[in-house]
Amino acid sequence: MTSEIWTEKYRPTNFEGFVGQEEIVKRIKNLVSSLNIPHLLFAGPAGTGKSTLALIVVKQLFQDSWRENYLELNASDERGIDVVRQKVKDFARTKSLGTVPFKVIFLDEADALTREAQQALRRTMENYTTTCRFLLSCNYSSKIIDPIQSRCAVFRFKLLEKKDINKVIKRIAETEKLEVDEKAASTIYEASEGDCRRVINLMQSTASISPRITKELVETIVSSAKPSDIKVVLDYALAGDYVNAKEKLLDIMLKESLSGQDMLKAIQKEVWGLDIDPELKVRLTEKVGEVEFRMVEGSDEFVQLQALLASFMLAGQGKL
Amino acid sequence: MSFAEKYKPKSLKEIKGQELAAAKLKEFVESFPNKRKACILYGPSGCGKTASVYAFANEKDAEIMELNASDFRDRKIISEVVGGASNQKSLFKKTKIILIDEVDGISGFYDKGGLLELVRIIDLSCFPIVMTANHIWDKKFSDLRRLGELIEFKELNSNVVFSLLKEITRKENLNFNDDLLKNIAIKSRGDVRAALNDLQTIDSSTKDLSERDKEENIFNVLKQVLKNRPAENMLELYEKLDMSLDEVYLWLEENLPREYKGEELARAIDLLSRADVFRGRIIRQQHWRFLIYQNFFLSYGVSASKKQAKTGFTSYKRPDRVLKIWMINQKNLVKKEIAKKFARYCHISFRRAMQEFDFMKNVLKNLDIQQKLGLEEKEKEYLKNI
Repeated sequence: MTSEIWTEKYRPTNFEGFVGQEEIVKRIKNLVSSLNIPHLLFAGPAGTGKSTLALIVVKQLFQDSWRENYLELNASDERGIDVVRQKVKDFARTKSLGTVPFKVIFLDEADALTREAQQALRRTMENYTTTCRFLLSCNYSSKIIDPIQSRCAVFRFKLLEKKDINKVIKRIAETEKLEVDEKAASTIYEASEGDCRRVINLMQSTASISPRITKELVETIVSSAKPSDIKVVLDYALAGDYVNAKEKLLDIMLKESLSGQDMLKAIQKEVWGLDIDPELKVRLTEKVGEVEFRMVEGSDEFVQLQALLASFMLAGQGKL
Repeated sequence: MSFAEKYKPKSLKEIKGQELAAAKLKEFVESFPNKRKACILYGPSGCGKTASVYAFANEKDAEIMELNASDFRDRKIISEVVGGASNQKSLFKKTKIILIDEVDGISGFYDKGGLLELVRIIDLSCFPIVMTANHIWDKKFSDLRRLGELIEFKELNSNVVFSLLKEITRKENLNFNDDLLKNIAIKSRGDVRAALNDLQTIDSSTKDLSERDKEENIFNVLKQVLKNRPAENMLELYEKLDMSLDEVYLWLEENLPREYKGEELARAIDLLSRADVFRGRIIRQQHWRFLIYQNFFLSYGVSASKKQAKTGFTSYKRPDRVLKIWMINQKNLVKKEIAKKFARYCHISFRRAMQEFDFMKNVLKNLDIQQKLGLEEKEKEYLKNI
């Protein structure tokens, strides 16, 4: 059953198999059939089909020789714009094979680039525009500078709707011979927040335990993805026991090999679920937000987490 | 003699932690001039670049002709020296290796045309040219990058540095405890040279290390800050310590809860966190006045967090957080490696893969999938245990 990762196994390879984004698929199909596509910008949340659609476009354009004419880069994984440009240069140097006169470069998470890096990217796009088409992908189009947006046809991807997600669930359940009842499907949809990749990963994870996927099973998997015992840390802190809260915090980070940011995310979710005075909840969340801000700015994770525990301690005593 | 000198590796086998790079270097020199004429060893300071070249030369009985960034490398010198050297075969030894250390130290003014000349020389050279550098991705080096094979030397893992230190303390008959060596290894951040120098400075003050001297001071300072009400002299206390301010954070973190409770504890820790924010900003904004605020919060501020002075004896403890965090990071390294492979396979970014990791725990335990991802033994071990 599980000798392949399902997100790859069930990734559609043609327009017909694509779920959701009907308008976009129509427009893209037309562009591809005219064999002349401009630079493209795919904007939208994670798991809505941007990379998949890019791969379909490329396969339709180049058929069997798609691997030679396609370069996939991820802006947040590469070490800076110079490395990206070097790779683009090396790739763009050779001509395209086949009837299509250009090659395609897919740059994922383009919004991870700074403004300066994007300016540099724009120049690269201009330099190689005759031999290469750029396909940019991002979560927030507002983070892409105007000069790049104006050079691209922009497509805004939406979160998948329940009907789309149900389609995906059904397709997989049929092939993998799983039993997914309606309540389970609803739970999967809620947990996924419209992210198709999350849906498929959840399904594969639950299926690895049992082919009968129930609401309870899904909930177990979802909660096991959260670090255990965070609540214990907060309980200690709110009760004024700083020392134990700190020990437990470090203990959990060690056991589950979590980073400070991971811990913070988990704490923030826990805070929202606490049964406390709304005003207090707001103040605690403010503190959490401030700590996250500082962490992102480059402060020491552990010092800041401890400060957070200390303010929880004050909150518990009504002194925050 | 410095430890760095005394324990210089004498063969490539002795270079720890850079096996792949060392193999590539060997391949480059031995296959000269069939493939490329020059190679560039690049990576952070103190991770073994120059040491590898010397080690290899020693092993092959080759002569090294070295040029440093501090040499005045203008047109004349290069064409005389490098051009001349390249064309002479050595009388006594079999091969010659031209080593240009720290090639990214070439500054525009002193070396007018030096870089261009070097590029030409590489073309004409009869001997392999090895360059070392810290940063090679600057625009002005794009020509060099084309002419040389790039060999990456990665930042050394603290484990590697630690085992090196342990070996040397054994050979030198020094009695240092593991915790101290681990701390030196971690602080060095992969720079073996720095770690060895640190080790040696501790050695020249006392043979049998006890941190007691340092600790006595920090214990006294802690006592003053934590027990007494704020006083003017507090602002100078940390300066007199033979300890960086960064270490002071750890000591305060560990011992504040032993002295303060409740509101005063929260207030003091809040100040600690504010000082930490300033600490981070000094580096980013190069605004060194922030040190003043850091020092103030950590001394006067912490002291003022309590309403009354404290009496009695409190037992303070040495911080062990660094080690614990280091352990967390070590565990994280394996998780990150797995996530990287997963990311590559699924066309997603590393960051995204880390986010999906927990949801995919069960799936990743499957042996077929581990095979598809190409996981190593320790990665499989890690997955077994979560």
